[in-house]
Amino acid sequence: MSEHLSAAVLSAAVDGELEGAELARANEHLAICLQCSSECLWNGLLKRRVADAGARYELPSSLEERMRRVATGGSARRSNWGSWAAVAALVAVCVGAVVMQRIWRERAQQAAFIGEVLDQHIATLAAAAPPEVISSDRHTVKPWFQGKLPFSFNLPAALPAGMTLDGANLTYLDRRPVAQLLFSIGKHRVSVFVEQSADERAVSAAERAGFHVVSFRTVELEAVAVSDAEAGRVAELMQALRAAQ
Amino acid sequence: MTLLPWKRAHRDVKPAAQGFEQLAMPLLPSLYNVARWLTRDAVEAEDLVQETFLKALRGFAGFEQGSNFKAWIFRILRNTYLSSRNGLAARRTVALEEELEDSSALVPEGAIDRATPELNLMRLADRAALEDAMQSLAPPLLEVILLCDVEEMKYREIAAVLEIPIGTVMSRIARARVALRASLEGHRGSAKKVVV
Repeated sequence: MSEHLSAAVLSAAVDGELEGAELARANEHLAICLQCSSECLWNGLLKRRVADAGARYELPSSLEERMRRVATGGSARRSNWGSWAAVAALVAVCVGAVVMQRIWRERAQQAAFIGEVLDQHIATLAAAAPPEVISSDRHTVKPWFQGKLPFSFNLPAALPAGMTLDGANLTYLDRRPVAQLLFSIGKHRVSVFVEQSADERAVSAAERAGFHVVSFRTVELEAVAVSDAEAGRVAELMQALRAAQ
Repeated sequence: MTLLPWKRAHRDVKPAAQGFEQLAMPLLPSLYNVARWLTRDAVEAEDLVQETFLKALRGFAGFEQGSNFKAWIFRILRNTYLSSRNGLAARRTVALEEELEDSSALVPEGAIDRATPELNLMRLADRAALEDAMQSLAPPLLEVILLCDVEEMKYREIAAVLEIPIGTVMSRIARARVALRASLEGHRGSAKKVVV
């Protein structure tokens, strides 16, 4: 009988790693050696038992979820089209975010401005003090602002029927000097705030707390009217003012 | 030893081009199981797997589609483990490594006790005893037996993962089995030298 097989050969035999002459020699020996056959059988059983016992630890579901996110989020080998689509989508999202941010900022500024204009108008209505310049004469009111404002404006020679000029105040909006022209439409008071045109502030017709807010803008001036008078009448007044510029 | 052994192992199996998720996720339970055995700690095992995944994902662009992904990612796991605190401690089994690196030095005949097969079979049926025996294996023997018996890797795949010659793989597996057997039998004989 040939020499017993070594432990390494016996292991390799149960692992299916013997080939050629080595395999033939091992088979030849195992066929006649009870001891080595027994060892080979034992190694086979050990291999199966280790396979069972070795698969001992179960993957935690939390780790699986985390790793799936890692594998999915950073999934390499995406196609070029996928990469470009992802880049395009990212750019679109960024541009959209910038546009939306600008729109929101403008709306916020507009809302703040309208609120400030409204507050000024209500304060004027509530104040017991008369306007700083009291006159229905445009040649009195306009010159009063000389040296007080860094701009000039015109007043219409004639106002629509039922409207009168009551006077004016020098006030401030957003820390800028503004002419507050006071009109009456019937018994309704109208404040028209006139300031230098600021491109970033676009005010259109709106309504807030029962007051109508109507505006126009020229190249140099911006005017905003606030009143609880009929919106059409306020707009008529603003058209007359605009025509005078 | 080959420079890029995992690219040579199992070249006959060439799956279609797949993404990282498709290749890596099915191996996650195996990676965790081996990591848990090596680190002997649940938290460290999770950290090891996570770091392995991140490294593999970063290096996936350099992975050659169609080559052995399993060997590739297990090699990353093993190298990551070796660079960890636990792994560095495991590396200190210098004497064992030196002995095992000699691929021609196969297990001595005297290491096998051929006298008590019935007793061996009875002890083999004791799962707790076997788990204890596995846990007591030196890291180089534990990793090789896990890759061989649990992960059912061929010797050339194991050689690719561990970056050692196939002869050394063969020797270590034989020594691991002798050590397990010695542990199950409660022997303190020649096999103990391998375990310590």
